[in-house]
Amino acid sequence: MLEVPAQVWQKVKTNYIWRSLFRHGYPDSRKNQSLAVFTNVFLHLHPVKVRRHALAIPYTWCMGGLSFFLFLVLTLTGTLLMFYYHPVSAAVPGADDAYQDIKDLETVVIFGQFLRNMHRWAAHGMVITVFLHMIRVFYTGSYKPPREFNWVVGTLLFVVTLVLSYTGYLLPWDQLAIWAVTVGMNMVGATPFVGDEVRFLFLGGFEVGGNALLRFYVLHCVALPVIAGFLMAIHFWRIRKDGGISGPL
Amino acid sequence: MTVPRGPQPFPGQEKRLRLLAFVRQDSIVRVDKRVEDTAMVWPHLLVIEFIAAMVWALGLFVVAALFNAPLMDRANVDRTPNPSKAPWYFLNLQELLLHMNAALAGVIVPTAWIVFMMTIPYIDRSREGVGVWFTSQKGKTVAVFSAVYSTVLTVGLVAADFFLKKAGYAEWATAHLPGGKLIIPDVVIPVLVMLILPVVLVVLLKRLYQANTREWMIGVWTGFLATYVVLTFIGTSMRGPGMDLFAPWALPPTHD
Ligand code: HEM
Repeated sequence: MLEVPAQVWQKVKTNYIWRSLFRHGYPDSRKNQSLAVFTNVFLHLHPVKVRRHALAIPYTWCMGGLSFFLFLVLTLTGTLLMFYYHPVSAAVPGADDAYQDIKDLETVVIFGQFLRNMHRWAAHGMVITVFLHMIRVFYTGSYKPPREFNWVVGTLLFVVTLVLSYTGYLLPWDQLAIWAVTVGMNMVGATPFVGDEVRFLFLGGFEVGGNALLRFYVLHCVALPVIAGFLMAIHFWRIRKDGGISGPL
Repeated sequence: MTVPRGPQPFPGQEKRLRLLAFVRQDSIVRVDKRVEDTAMVWPHLLVIEFIAAMVWALGLFVVAALFNAPLMDRANVDRTPNPSKAPWYFLNLQELLLHMNAALAGVIVPTAWIVFMMTIPYIDRSREGVGVWFTSQKGKTVAVFSAVYSTVLTVGLVAADFFLKKAGYAEWATAHLPGGKLIIPDVVIPVLVMLILPVVLVVLLKRLYQANTREWMIGVWTGFLATYVVLTFIGTSMRGPGMDLFAPWALPPTHD
């Protein structure tokens, strides 16, 4: 009985197309396990072997990995949301605008509410996981040589994560959104010497209006994710170059 | 000149070397390098990552199915909600804003904190205790001490501010202090408090526990963490209309 699937599997694996995709056998030997990791563009972020210590969940809580996971979830759900969202504030109350798009997401679009919820909660979640990751890195002394610079990159990632979340906060264009952003922008406006200029730069005006919405939208959907992506690339690369996850000497 | 055996290189290419890898010296000569200390990424790490990702994906599905993201009325610049609050992760700063000059609370303190964060590894440079939670038993003690110290002081300062304001301190300061409320209460006192309290903490840690650099750094960082958590909590669940202080269970709803 089992010969048939076994033969089919054998055929598939020796097939020309399959072999153009995978250049190693099933990862059940050390050699194939190594090949599986470093011939795969997604897996090659990993080394082939790690110290056993690094696998312990109480050591990392997986928080760095989960921050990255949430970032991917946010990229996916965010891209889907972009199909339905116009960064427009209506001149006439009641006309179509960003707020109406959110309402439509909740009532008209299939799974729209679910999509929005996923994006929202993942965003809060990411702020929390990044914070917890920072806590674990600090208390395990993982910023010590040779990882000084990766800690600096991490600090920048923390700031970018907060700003990403904050710029997204404005987009639903409801009362919560504009007033939270108004409060934040007033703080920015208190910057010594250049406060008003910086505030104007963010808002494209003197108060939170259509221009601010557009600026926050571009920052949120393009500029900041790209910056975060670059920083993460550096962050992950440096983990490898600094000898993998820290551990007792 | 003797000709080596085997296939001969092409003329002009006899001495070409190819660099295949850099091997750091210590990875060759390190005597305590234990091979058995490692595990293959496939399957051991990938399994953990896969399970973690699945559990979180499921958790997120459940949360997203059960709780809807908030959506209020359409944005309206003429209707200011009371209180207007920033997102929760900035409420610690908004809380600071109630106690000091706006530039200080909103810009200078967070910037100084970020700069301090980045300098930590350049101040605490020993490799002692890397990879061990809290470095040592003393590290834990220091962390607990600093958490209590900072929580008590932060809560105390917010409470002191509350009672002083109630007693008419702001009016008194405006009338009697040089520069009124704007200089001494809004700038000088907060700056002194924010500089002196961490210094006192470090001195205490050195006196009480003979703390070394790593240990006092744990103390200062824990102090920051505790302050951050306390201020976020107060800002989130104890500030009601007019940003007045309320008990978390008696917080009135936001109105226009
Ligand atoms: C978007 C945010 C971030 C992502 C996606 C991220 C991701 C990661 C991942 C996957 C690791 C591997 C180990 C682990 O999971 O714990 C790691 C390690 C590390 N992260 Fe982050 N990180 C982020 C933010 C930060 C922040 C805010 C800091 C510190 C301020 C930081 C500092 C470090 C350091 C120093 C390491 C090396 C730790 C070690 O060798 O044990 N990262 N990061």
